[in-house]
Amino acid sequence: MATARLHPTLRGLTWVSPWLLGFGLFMLLPITLSAWYSLTDYSLLDRPIYVGLENYRELLHDSVAHAALKNSAIFTLATVGVGTLLSLALALLLEQRLPGSEFVRAIVFLPTLVPVIAAALLWMWALNTETGSVNTILRTLHLPTPDWLGTPTGAMASIVLVSLWGIGTFVVTYAAAIRGVPVSLYEAACIDGAGPFRRLTTITLPIISPTIAFNLVMSIIWSLQAFAVPLVMTRGGPANATTTFALYVYQNAFVFGRMGYACALAWVQFLFTLVLVAGVLWASRRAVYHRGA
Amino acid sequence: MNRSSIARKLLLAALLLLVLAAFAMPLFSMLLTAMREAKSVGKPLLEPGHVPSAAQLGANVKEVWTGRAADFPLFLHNSLFVAGLSVLGMVVSSSIVAYGFSRLRWRGRDALFILVLATLMIPFPILMAPLYLVFKQLGWIGTFLPLWVPAWFGGTFSIFLLRQFFLSIPRELDDAARIDGCSEFGVFTRIILPIAAPAIAVVALLQFVASWNDFLAPLLFLNHEETYTLALGLHMYQSQHGGTPWNLVMTAALLIILPVVFVFILAQRAIIGSVATQGLNE
Amino acid sequence: MIGGTAPQSSASDAQGVAIDTDVSRRSALTLLAAGAAGWALWPYAPRSRRDIPKGRKVVTYWEKWTGPEGDAIQQVVDDFNASQSRLWVHRVPVNDQDSKALVAIGGGDPPDIAGLYSYSVPQYAETGAAIPLADLGLKPDPSAYAPGVWQMLTHQGRQWAGVNTCYTIALYYNRSHFREAGLDPDKPPRTIDEFNDAAQRLTIKGPAGEITRAGFVHTLPWWWPYMWPSLFGADLYDSATNRSLFDSPACVRAFEWIGSWPTRMGREALATYISAFGRSFNGAEDPFLTGRVSMVATGPWIANFARTYAPTLDYAAVAVPVSSEIFDAARPIGLLECDVLMIPRGSPNPEAAMEFLLYTQQPRVQEQLATAHCKSSPMTAVSPAFMSSHPNRAVAVHDQIAKSSRAVVLPRCRSWKQYAILTQRAFDNVWLGANAKAELTAVNSRVQSLLDREADLRQRRGA
Repeated sequence: MATARLHPTLRGLTWVSPWLLGFGLFMLLPITLSAWYSLTDYSLLDRPIYVGLENYRELLHDSVAHAALKNSAIFTLATVGVGTLLSLALALLLEQRLPGSEFVRAIVFLPTLVPVIAAALLWMWALNTETGSVNTILRTLHLPTPDWLGTPTGAMASIVLVSLWGIGTFVVTYAAAIRGVPVSLYEAACIDGAGPFRRLTTITLPIISPTIAFNLVMSIIWSLQAFAVPLVMTRGGPANATTTFALYVYQNAFVFGRMGYACALAWVQFLFTLVLVAGVLWASRRAVYHRGA
Repeated sequence: MNRSSIARKLLLAALLLLVLAAFAMPLFSMLLTAMREAKSVGKPLLEPGHVPSAAQLGANVKEVWTGRAADFPLFLHNSLFVAGLSVLGMVVSSSIVAYGFSRLRWRGRDALFILVLATLMIPFPILMAPLYLVFKQLGWIGTFLPLWVPAWFGGTFSIFLLRQFFLSIPRELDDAARIDGCSEFGVFTRIILPIAAPAIAVVALLQFVASWNDFLAPLLFLNHEETYTLALGLHMYQSQHGGTPWNLVMTAALLIILPVVFVFILAQRAIIGSVATQGLNE
Repeated sequence: MIGGTAPQSSASDAQGVAIDTDVSRRSALTLLAAGAAGWALWPYAPRSRRDIPKGRKVVTYWEKWTGPEGDAIQQVVDDFNASQSRLWVHRVPVNDQDSKALVAIGGGDPPDIAGLYSYSVPQYAETGAAIPLADLGLKPDPSAYAPGVWQMLTHQGRQWAGVNTCYTIALYYNRSHFREAGLDPDKPPRTIDEFNDAAQRLTIKGPAGEITRAGFVHTLPWWWPYMWPSLFGADLYDSATNRSLFDSPACVRAFEWIGSWPTRMGREALATYISAFGRSFNGAEDPFLTGRVSMVATGPWIANFARTYAPTLDYAAVAVPVSSEIFDAARPIGLLECDVLMIPRGSPNPEAAMEFLLYTQQPRVQEQLATAHCKSSPMTAVSPAFMSSHPNRAVAVHDQIAKSSRAVVLPRCRSWKQYAILTQRAFDNVWLGANAKAELTAVNSRVQSLLDREADLRQRRGA
């Protein structure tokens, strides 16, 4: 590739052309098509028929879609909320540099590499009401043994649990960020008589706040689009309790054969994601510390 | 060392142990179940006649591997085929693109890179249905093409990682090569790539894991059992009409997770290290 | 972290990017990669294809059955393959049949012939997902099939499918439990009131109020939430006016009856009892076969599983009890469904698939399959030996329901799948204590909007 003679921008674009092509073909094109199909009734086998905004109108009255939205909201809140707190806590614990921390860190990270189908099956088994390890442990501790996958609340808790099992990526990034806080700041704080909690809230958290913001955004985006776990573990049940919005999109597209409606649903989801992410980014403007401009 | 700091250390150590147990528990449970017979599943661990054994694990593995219910050797073959092409494509395309975003200076470079990162925000459900239709038009449904061709156009995380690495390589090296008359592509292949080999290895490993684990793409685009990858094969195996016994399902899950664990053990620090940086440079 | 001693791996520690791969690990990984590449490129032939004799045209047949039912259909396939030497039917067990097949057909990659459910026929017919059998040379013969069955094979005046066993839902009851409870095992309940009474008397509770044996539970199994309205004389759908009737008074009465059940049995006790069963039906842990439930509304296959898992169980069957106003012993009410064979649009070998389909439509083959599945035959002409030597002692009950003029055939509309899911939702909510009328009205309005939409689009497409 004798690109040296080209205008620099053209040359740069040539080098990144694989990504540009891929972006066009596998993202821009589908998104545009998605917008068009959301205005049609398309069953995959018939030809698409233009129906204008009818899909969106139907959405407004679709109680299952509303329930799915609510489920996604609950799932995202629980996963992101508990997940963030938990991963921060774990990262702090790991950064205490106790012997064996590196091994524990590896074990905490390992679940993120496990195939989602295997993770779902493992947890289906672990949460089995009679014979699963979770309830066996609870039973020996004389605690109540809920029917995890058979009740609406239990099922939602189950899929949240599986998601929390995979917070390894966040733990690792937080740990690295915590490690990056200059020790001199802690020393100065100690001299001023600040206890561990003060140090945490006035030094550690503010300095790693960019990482927190980034991870918040990523986990929100991820939770809103996750549907493999509910699909495999609970099939959206019982009583549609774990039908997340993304799962409902999948069902409409590939089970009921209503591609047009599925695209409309997907656009609504996209909008929600954008709004939420914008909200987090706006809030982080004030809360996030920027190291040097 | 005073009393309270020992107590504190003990408390933290106990917490660490608890965390270890909590995260390892499902994997442990899987292993134990895979070592039991179908009739022992659900019985207490130490009940005589139902104790898990390595011999039973061997028998279960044989049953899963050679059983008629699912052709796992075929699924393995398919998974490896797709993963191989996927890794190759990702490595080649991502390094080229990352080079363009790091070693060359051009107007619009950083703005475009922000767009690359922004694509992380696009939820898969919005792409799902139209992607299917695009592939249908191309006649690719039912083939492996939708599973590995997209990797040949670069991936956000791989590009990000390699760009980070390339940025850290001192410029004097390429300047020297350019003075000697080396073309841009020459600099890329002869100077940058060899230095970046470790980072590229990490990208290759992570892409391998991603392809190995991929469930959604096979679910949407593959129809015939003969083309199934391991992830989809496991799903099919488990959801058979009538239910498959849990000890065999867990054995199958174990077989699928094992290569990933192996890869992880061999390259653990590298993988964790590269993942950790992604949050630092937002 | 700086890693590596070999000259190549001069990994620099840049902004926290830690690369640590030493030589031995790298060679291990390279070896692994080489081995993997070798396996990937090895020309591996699918195990299932290896025993196909050369020179035959292969017909891919997707079917849902596994286990003994799968073996039965495999026998039919084997017989067909042995009866001629041009074609070879290759059966592939598939689950999530109807959506999988739809996606495969839509994607242009379908099997040659697919075994589906009767409720898929309207959807496949209207979307053109299947080939009308007349187009492949079939001369329709309505009199060969039971009237309810024929209704399910056709849509809008054309035949789209061949039958592949049919079944009806009956009430199976444990005769020894009846005797213990002081009930006459030869006079099972026929009306809802008798049924409520029997269920109550058959339920045994322990000292702390916990249930040790349940008389009857609607959720064991939970597969037909839309069946209960028919017991009260309610229809779900009126095809003439394209209206869903889910909120009719009879339907509400049915669901109020369902909603009263947990209260009748003790809500907490019942919930605990049910949770113990997980998903263990039609196996060694089946609640009816293990004597933990005295009565169960299920299909004829239970006899098959009883043969294997509970051979000494003393049971019998009767048509599911209905409300007393509509009871008529000569015309039992029961859900009738059948498995069907359809040839997908885009099937690579439609004529070959048709040949196999015709083979399966012979009464002899249907009887062979029905015997193996413990079901009654869907054909009008039934050989005397079939009924007399049938392995299911209750086959006459099922047969009577199947051929009854009041056999319940599910709504023949394209949106049935969504309707069914919504009825499940309503059932679950009512079971948990929601108000029946409110639930059914909500579901009905949603279903009606789906039906109206369907009709509107049908018009626009000019179908």
